[in-house]
Amino acid sequence: MRRLGFQNHVLIIAVVIVLAAEFAAGQAGPTVRQVIDNAAATRGRAVYAQYCINCHGSNVKGGDDGPDLIRSVVVLHDRLGNDIGPAMKKLSNHPRDLTQEQILDLSHFLHQRVESTSSNRNTNQPPNVLTGNVAAGKDYFNGAGKCSTCHSPTGDLAGYGTRTTPINIQQNFLFPRIARGGKQTEVTVTPAAGAAVTGTLVRIDDFNVSLRGVDGQTQTFRRAPNVKVDVRDPLAVHHELLDQYTDADMHNIVAYLESLK
Amino acid sequence: MKRGKLPGSLIGVLLLSAVLLGQVPVDWPMVHGDYSGRHFSTLKRIHSSNVNSLTQAWTWRANPGSGPAAGGGATSATIKGTPIEVNGVLYTTIPDHVWAVDARTGREIWHFSWKSKGGWHIGNRGAAVLGSTLYVETPDCNLIALNVADGTERWHTEICDLEQFYYGSVAPTIVKNHVIVGVSGDDLDIPGYVESHDPETGKLQWRWYTYPNPNDPEAKTWPSVEAMMHGGGMTWGPSAYDPELNLYYFGTGNPQPVIAGRGREGANLYTESIIALNPDNGKLVWYFQASPHDTHDWDAIEAPILFDGEVNGQPRKLLAQASRNGWFFVLDRTNGKNILSTEFVKTNWTKGVDAKGQPIPDPKKEPQYDGALVSPNQGGAVNWPPPSYSPETGLFYVNATRAFSVYYLYDTDVKPEGWGGNDRGGWSESMLEAIDYKTGKIRWTHKWPASAAVRSGLLSTAGNILFAGDNASNLIAFDPKDGSILWHSELRSNMSNTPITYELDGVQYIVVAAGDTLYNFKLP
Repeated sequence: MRRLGFQNHVLIIAVVIVLAAEFAAGQAGPTVRQVIDNAAATRGRAVYAQYCINCHGSNVKGGDDGPDLIRSVVVLHDRLGNDIGPAMKKLSNHPRDLTQEQILDLSHFLHQRVESTSSNRNTNQPPNVLTGNVAAGKDYFNGAGKCSTCHSPTGDLAGYGTRTTPINIQQNFLFPRIARGGKQTEVTVTPAAGAAVTGTLVRIDDFNVSLRGVDGQTQTFRRAPNVKVDVRDPLAVHHELLDQYTDADMHNIVAYLESLK
Repeated sequence: MKRGKLPGSLIGVLLLSAVLLGQVPVDWPMVHGDYSGRHFSTLKRIHSSNVNSLTQAWTWRANPGSGPAAGGGATSATIKGTPIEVNGVLYTTIPDHVWAVDARTGREIWHFSWKSKGGWHIGNRGAAVLGSTLYVETPDCNLIALNVADGTERWHTEICDLEQFYYGSVAPTIVKNHVIVGVSGDDLDIPGYVESHDPETGKLQWRWYTYPNPNDPEAKTWPSVEAMMHGGGMTWGPSAYDPELNLYYFGTGNPQPVIAGRGREGANLYTESIIALNPDNGKLVWYFQASPHDTHDWDAIEAPILFDGEVNGQPRKLLAQASRNGWFFVLDRTNGKNILSTEFVKTNWTKGVDAKGQPIPDPKKEPQYDGALVSPNQGGAVNWPPPSYSPETGLFYVNATRAFSVYYLYDTDVKPEGWGGNDRGGWSESMLEAIDYKTGKIRWTHKWPASAAVRSGLLSTAGNILFAGDNASNLIAFDPKDGSILWHSELRSNMSNTPITYELDGVQYIVVAAGDTLYNFKLP
C-alpha cells in the first residue's frame, strides 16, 4: 500500500469522519474518531519499540520515567499524529526527527491500544476456567450436588466434554436454559369451577396466566384468589443450588464434566 | 386553581415548606418530585378506595425522527428519564432530545433536537427547570439551557471531555443559583466529578472530583496518585438536597479499572460512596462508602432518600439508600454516621460490616481468572430506577432483584486498565419489598411471577397507594401497608422510568413512561 504524505491528511480525516459516524451510535467516545489502520499500527509498534518503550513501557502503560500513554489526554485528543507530533517536539528527551509517516504509524499504534483497552470488557476471554479437580467434581456430582438424580455421564452427559468449551460447561450447568424440545415449565390452573388444566407455561403475571395444552392451543386464565395456579419449573433445582455451590464446587464440576469425553 | 409562574427551584423549596406546613404541592417540578428524593406525593384525590376507577386519559409518543440522530445519536427512543411537570407542562427527554408536552392533554408543544458529536446514548435521566430555563445534559458532554416557552437554545457549555470517553446522561439538579451536574463513562480510566454552573451564563462555579486530595488520609486508600486520579467514581445517579442543612447528597460509581482490582489495592475512596457536599462551594462535608474496593461494577449511585424519622426514641435526620450491592443503609444525614446496615436481598460477597457500618468485601468473591460465583450480578440488587419512601407508612419501598453471575478476570497484565474482566450468565428473581428503616426488616414482599429482573421506579402517595411496574408491561397500584394489589393497567411495554403525579384544575394525574410512550391516567 502506498503511504500517504502529510498533505493528504485532510482527506484521511474526512474519510475518518464519514466512517466513524457510521459506527458511532452506541459507542463511547467521540463520533469523529480515528479508524485504525492495522498495518500502520504494526509499523507504529516498531517505532514505539525503537523510540518510546524505554520510558513508556512495553505495555504502553507507563513506567518510572514516562507516563501511561493509553491514559494520555494528548493521545486521546490526537488524530493521525496531529497532537502527538507537536507534543514530542515540545518535550525534552523525546525524538524530534521522526518523519510524518512514523508519527502517523505511531498514532495508529497508540489509538489501537486505546481502542483495545476501552472495549476489553467484551472482546476478551477468561484465560482458563479448567482449574478444578476431576475426582472432587465426580464426588459432588454423585453426592452433595445430587446431580446424578437427573443426569448421567453415560446418558445425557455422555461425551459432554467434547461437545463444548470449558467456559460453556461452567455457564451451562450454573445457569441452564430450557432446551427446545426438552422438558418445559409446566403449569396447572384450577379454576373456581371446572376441571384443572395443565400445559406448558406461555406467560404469567399477577393478573393472567397463559398455557399451551397438548392440543397446541393456548388458553389464558384470569388470576383470582379462587383460581389455583401451580407452576413447575424443571430448572428450579439448579436455581436452588446457586446458594449452595462453593467456588471450589463450581470449578470441580467443570473439571469433571469436561473429562466426559 | 389558578397559579402564577414560579421558578423551578423556588417551587422545590416551596414544596418542602408546603410539606412542613401541611399544604399540598401540586406540581412535580424535579425528577424526584422534591429535594428529598422520596418519590412521595401528598396528593390524595386518587386514593386506595377509588384507584380501581383510574382510566387512561391520553398517551404521547416520542418521535425523535427517523434513523440515528445527526452526528450519530440515539437509535432508541426509550424514555428512561423521569418527566417533570411545571405549570401544566411536562418536560421529557431521551438522549439528544427534549419535548414539552401539555400535561392536561398530551399535546406536544415543542421538540428540541441536539446535533450530537458522539458519546454513549444509553439513556437520559431527565431535565431540570429554573424559572424560564430548562437544563439538560447531552451524550456528547454538553449542558444545554433552553427556553421553556419554545425550546430554543439559550446557551450550551461543555461539562466533560468526549475524547476521554466521558458522556452526559444525568438529570441536572438546581440548588439556589447552582445548576449541578454529574458525568458518566467507564470505558477508560478517568476520574468522576460533579460540577456547578451559573444558571444564567453556564459559567463553571466549582468542580469536585471523586478522589481525595493527595495529602488527605483518604488518599491512602489508593496505592498511588496515578491510580487515584484515574480511578473512576462517576456521578451518573440522582441527588438530594436538604435546604436546612444546606447539604447536597449523591452517590458515586464504580472504581476503575472496573473489574480488575489489581493496581488499585485499597478501599478506593471516594468511589462507591454516598457523598454530602456544600452546594455553594463544592466542598466535601462527609462520606460513607457503600462498597469499599468494589470489583463488581456496583455503582452506589442509587437515590439517596431524605426523611426525618425516629431511631431509639430520638428524632433523627436520616438518609437511606438501597444500594446496588444488595445492602440497605440508613445514615444520619447531618454527619454521615451509620445507623443501620443490612442486606435487603441475600448476597454472598461480604464478610460482614466494619466499625463504620461499611460492608467488608470477601476477597474470594472478587473476579477470578477461572470465575467466581457472585450474588448480586453486575446489574445489581437494584439499579438506577428510584425507590420510594412514604412518611405515612414509615416504609422504604424498592424493586429488588436477587441474581447470580460469574465474574471473570480477563486481564493478566500487572497493570490492568479499562474493565479487565466482566461477568457472564445469570439467573435472577425480583420482588417488590417494603423495608422498615428502623430495623431493616422486610415488612412485606411481593414476588414478581416471572423470573427476570424488574427495573421500574416507584411512587407512593398520601392516597395510600404505591405505584410500581412489573416485567409484564403492567403499571400496578399496591396498598403500601400490606402489598395487596388494588389496580393495574397493561401498557405496551415495561415501564422504563418512574411514575409521577401532579394536580391541575383539581384533577390528579398519574404519568409513566414505557418505552417511547408517556401514559397519562386520571379518574373519570
